[in-house]
Amino acid sequence: MSKANKSIKELMDEFESVVAWFEADEIDVEKAITQYEKGAKLADEIKKQLSDAKNRIEVLNAKS
Amino acid sequence: MSEAVFDVSGAIAVLNQSLEQIFPTMTIVGEVASFKVNQGKWVFFDLKDDDGSLGCFMSLYSLRTPIEDGMMIKIVARPKITNWGKFSLTVEQIQPVGEGSLKKAFELLRAKLAGEGLFAPERKRLLPELPSRIGVVSSTDAAGYKDFIKILGARFGGLKIEVYHTLVQGLDAPEQIMQGIEHFNEMARPPEVIALVRGGGSADDLAAFNDEPLVRKIAASRVPIVTGIGHEVDTTLSDLAADVRASTPSNAAEILLPDKRELMAGLDASLKHLIVKTENQLNAAERRVDDTLSSLLNRLNLAAEKTENQLKGLTTLLEQLNPERILRRGYALVYDANGQVVCEADVGDNLRIETNKMLIETEVKNVKSK
Repeated sequence: MSKANKSIKELMDEFESVVAWFEADEIDVEKAITQYEKGAKLADEIKKQLSDAKNRIEVLNAKS
Repeated sequence: MSEAVFDVSGAIAVLNQSLEQIFPTMTIVGEVASFKVNQGKWVFFDLKDDDGSLGCFMSLYSLRTPIEDGMMIKIVARPKITNWGKFSLTVEQIQPVGEGSLKKAFELLRAKLAGEGLFAPERKRLLPELPSRIGVVSSTDAAGYKDFIKILGARFGGLKIEVYHTLVQGLDAPEQIMQGIEHFNEMARPPEVIALVRGGGSADDLAAFNDEPLVRKIAASRVPIVTGIGHEVDTTLSDLAADVRASTPSNAAEILLPDKRELMAGLDASLKHLIVKTENQLNAAERRVDDTLSSLLNRLNLAAEKTENQLKGLTTLLEQLNPERILRRGYALVYDANGQVVCEADVGDNLRIETNKMLIETEVKNVKSK
């Protein structure tokens, strides 16, 4: 997986910035296509990670 | 065999040793009477029932829950005979007993800590939007803990959850929970949020979360804390001091993490919105081109109309000036032999007169000035 090092949060942040790009008053329609493709790819990656990932639990005991 | 003889201090020492052997500590339930604090340091009160009364003593520091006369409490104390021969109980732990006393202690402490601003809304911090590390203080045996972990797992994955296992009820619980909070706060890289969770229980069970030092520890935590203690109706002072109070452990998990299914649906909705946004942009551009074209056309039409009107005016004028028109009204034009219109002539000149109907050749017979 090429994006293995990116956490879901990082991917989410990238996705948010793609969405924010579209919030501009005027957008370059040609660029919009590549931006959209980027967003769709990020969304797929996030969904994949969300479906696969399990939480890691570590337990430490209190000193009595 | 003769009986041992003691001096006074020896007797006191032996009695205390014997007491310590039989009852290193005693747990006693009774009603508080004659409660007082000396020099801001020492606490004295009597513990009594209908038939008896015992003098109790402790440091103000170890009084973790406020008490007052008439309250029923359970104490853990070391029995002792003082150097003045008085029997005394050195109290190590105190717990209010019964609904009335628990409620009273709760209200007293709440008023005190609220007065210090410990529960003020402006102290509350926001929880991280999507934490990647969560510190949990709870008992791993408790049902509430299991619910909490299960719901965390159902809502989101890929997180690191560090659990500090403690007692969550009884007199030793507050100290252990405080250790847990401290443990997470002192880490070189602390978790982004601490969850303090415990399932439902009796008012007695939940009393551990009304412990004054614990409540202060929660308020002082550098890492934001969310509490999910007991059922929805239960509110402890720990809840009031926390940054966010969840109604139950499950609710704490819901507050901490977004639901991945909602999140995925949100992603799809966002992508759809991007398409709509682009389409809108295209439509707007198209509309702008259309608008510009039609306004150009309008201007051209207006200009053409204006020219046409001007032309019509000129034509009318021209028609009015046409000499033919003047002739039609009965006037005549007079030319000389060279075809020039004349205003003067001499006798004998040949002239030509043009009327509406005829061309007349003529000779001048007579002239005179006007």
